[in-house]
Amino acid sequence: MNIWPGFYSLQGAWYLFLLVPLIIFYFLKLKRPHKRVPSLALWSSVINDRRVNSPFQKFKRSILLLLQILLLLFLVLSLMQPYVHSGADRAQYLPILIDCSASMAATDPETKKTRLELAKERVTELIDNLLPNQRVSLVAVSSTARRLTAFTDNQRVLKQSLAGLTVDDVPSKLEDALRMTQALSRTKPIKRVLFYSDGNFPKEVNFDLPFELNYQKLPPAGSNIGITSFNARKSQSGNWDVFIRIANSLKSENPASIEILQDGQSIAKEEVDLGKSDSQRIEFTVNTDSGSALEAVLTPGSFDSLESDNRAYLTIPRSRSLLVYISDSLASYRYALADDENLELYPEQNETVGPAEYDLIISSSENSLEKPGLVKVGVGFIPEDLIKYISLETNLTDVVDWNRSSALLRHVELNDVQITEQPVWNENSGVEDLEGLGYEVLVHGRLGPLLLQKRKSGDLEFYFLFNTDRSTMPYRIGFPIMVSNLIQLTLQEAGIAEVQASATPILPAVEYVPDETYQIQTPTGKRYSTESNKNGMVSGVAALHVGRYLITGEGADSDEISVSLLNPLETSLVTIDEIQFSEVPVMAAQSQVDSDKPLWSEFALIAFVLLLVEWWYFQRRPAGIPT
Amino acid sequence: MPQESNTNQFTSLFDNKTLSMLERMRLNPTRRLTNRSRGEHLSGKGGTSTEFSDYRNYVPGDDVRYIDWNIFSRLNRPFMKQYQHEEEMHVVLILDASSSMDYENKFLRCQQLAAAFGVMGLLNFEKVSVYACNHKGSRPAMFAPSTGRISMKRLFDFLTKIEVGGNSPVEDAVEDVLRIHRGRGVAIVLSDFESFGDLQRPFNMLFSAGLEIYGVQILGSSEINPEINGDLRLVDSESGQTLDISSAGDLLGIYHEHRALLEDHLAMMCRQRSGRFLTIDSGDTVEHIIFDLLRRKGWVR
Repeated sequence: MNIWPGFYSLQGAWYLFLLVPLIIFYFLKLKRPHKRVPSLALWSSVINDRRVNSPFQKFKRSILLLLQILLLLFLVLSLMQPYVHSGADRAQYLPILIDCSASMAATDPETKKTRLELAKERVTELIDNLLPNQRVSLVAVSSTARRLTAFTDNQRVLKQSLAGLTVDDVPSKLEDALRMTQALSRTKPIKRVLFYSDGNFPKEVNFDLPFELNYQKLPPAGSNIGITSFNARKSQSGNWDVFIRIANSLKSENPASIEILQDGQSIAKEEVDLGKSDSQRIEFTVNTDSGSALEAVLTPGSFDSLESDNRAYLTIPRSRSLLVYISDSLASYRYALADDENLELYPEQNETVGPAEYDLIISSSENSLEKPGLVKVGVGFIPEDLIKYISLETNLTDVVDWNRSSALLRHVELNDVQITEQPVWNENSGVEDLEGLGYEVLVHGRLGPLLLQKRKSGDLEFYFLFNTDRSTMPYRIGFPIMVSNLIQLTLQEAGIAEVQASATPILPAVEYVPDETYQIQTPTGKRYSTESNKNGMVSGVAALHVGRYLITGEGADSDEISVSLLNPLETSLVTIDEIQFSEVPVMAAQSQVDSDKPLWSEFALIAFVLLLVEWWYFQRRPAGIPT
Repeated sequence: MPQESNTNQFTSLFDNKTLSMLERMRLNPTRRLTNRSRGEHLSGKGGTSTEFSDYRNYVPGDDVRYIDWNIFSRLNRPFMKQYQHEEEMHVVLILDASSSMDYENKFLRCQQLAAAFGVMGLLNFEKVSVYACNHKGSRPAMFAPSTGRISMKRLFDFLTKIEVGGNSPVEDAVEDVLRIHRGRGVAIVLSDFESFGDLQRPFNMLFSAGLEIYGVQILGSSEINPEINGDLRLVDSESGQTLDISSAGDLLGIYHEHRALLEDHLAMMCRQRSGRFLTIDSGDTVEHIIFDLLRRKGWVR
């Protein structure tokens, strides 16, 4: 560090010329009061004393002037705004990113301070040492980025914003903040960005750094145990199997007890003892047909850094049968599903009217797929938007390859299936054209795709471009497996056989009355309103805190939706020392950010002390008077 | 300045009670410097008073009246009885009446002390003379040598009429007095002794003139404990000379040292000439000075 201070406002040195009038006025104003004494004999001998004429005594004669000169010097130095060089580059515009994800609420056993409080302390120190030409913008980083202040040097505004920053019970996502900073760099020259975090975020960040990122890693917190997964699946017996995964951090072994509350009533409790970095899945059975609200409460047996992952919520839906529409022409599907008691097949015999909405529609005509449904399967035709890319020829063909990891084709063998209709790529057409329209090829034929998948505004659509009944597929073992996969897929989409706890930072979409306003009350007591879309969906509502959200409005009578943290990364409190960007890695800084230390307040204080000394010196009782 | 005289008071310098006490006191000189003329003071030489002093062998020519016949009858040898000689002592009061004494009752104490010493001298049949020195080079105001109670009123009148003011330094004043005065005894110098000159010569002259020196330094309270501070221009009351001092408060310590040195120097000069020296504060009462201070110091009895 350079010990010589720099001066921000060097032009303040012009005020040193005030020394001239100060000295002139001092001597002009030095009218000594006359005092008559009986005789000067004694005083003359005093003045002739060697000690009086010593350099120190001569200095003391003008000590008031010297004090005044010193006072003026220190005032001028304050005006010149001195500072001590830290050695670091001084950025004029400095964005400070502060991680406020769930793990930043972690405390350590000694200080009981959260990581966010530590970050605030460091940022406050930076704000205190702001130089006059420096501007700082505070950005909160959680699952998204929030700009707390514009570039400003107003310490009050910065500190006020910093004080208002709280932890969100959400996972970290650095990309948004960096993109926001990149946008800021288009308006202000940004060379360096400070990022304060505990290091608990994904290591790989898909972003090209246009500036220098100074990653200030905060000291790690203590041990933590928390719930990382909470889901339920309906068993064959009609009960719900509830699965809870509890994970422990790296720090130390941690005993805990987990308790399940069903609609507020405790139904099960179990003790767990997890080693370092262990996780354990615990299973409970819950019996309900009418739907229940489950709450898992984890009680750590020792110090626990993070509170927000100790509770999780799960809503088990009301039981019902799947509503399946199968075209009359597709006998193989109808036959495969006829014996399943949990299904209601439509159209029923002698009945023309079906339900308004189906869970699964399997149809050989595109018109039938217009009905509202969660999962739709088109068989034996090419969707209208694909006609210009694919045509159907009557040739024998077979399957070349298929996506074995697809939920529909899991455990399905298509090797020896013979197909009599062959979809063929039109000239200059290919997979890219289909992908451009949102289709994914699940099964490839010799000259074109055989099975396509498309996710369309919440609905899942599959298209067999050939008529499965005109192939050997229904006679293969893979067909009932595929139909079973289809039913499981529909059950998942309908959420009536398997359900997962909702996690922050977004409330799960719920359907109410279209174009209505709904009031939402958060667990922290805040209220805000949102509107349903034309389909009646209320979606995209931020849920930054773990707990129950109350929704009121048309069709919603204080409905409760609960969200949980359920993030293994946040619970593990694992930290990373290096952020891997697209091109370069960024290591955590080994030292804290040194900022230039302004000295004007110290100089002003010295000037004030000098003023007091001068006043005291002027007013004091003469030292020579005996007591 | 002297107080306004009260019709019931003998003098404005003291009250009658103090005066009556003074009348019973007398000076107690260290040496017996007396004049040849008879007086009340016992001289060191043999005399004809009733106070027995010693015996000595008879030598021819001695007055046979002083032979102790009782011893002669027992020893058959003549021995002379010796008696103390009572001679007259001269009390010279030298008052510094320069401007420097016109501060804080300094001159009033000076007058009162002179009157007190004068009363003691007069009522003990000493010759008392007073000299007041104002201006340098001019003849000092003089109270001619007098003795007896009859002169007391005149002495008081003389003292109360002395005008204070002038620039006569004390060393010149002493020399001026010695040009006029004749007679041995005690010279009481009442001054502040704040002089630029050297007092060795006048004190030697006093000693040579057979006068025992009683130096009384009268200082005002502001001279003993000056309370000044800051930058000042000091003006000499006698000469009008000025002296600039800065940070006067810091010089006070040195001032006190110098004042103490002056006192020691004056006391030493007096002691070397078998005299006495005393510094008094003009703020003290004259009763305290005479009946307490001077008596304890053995100046008077």
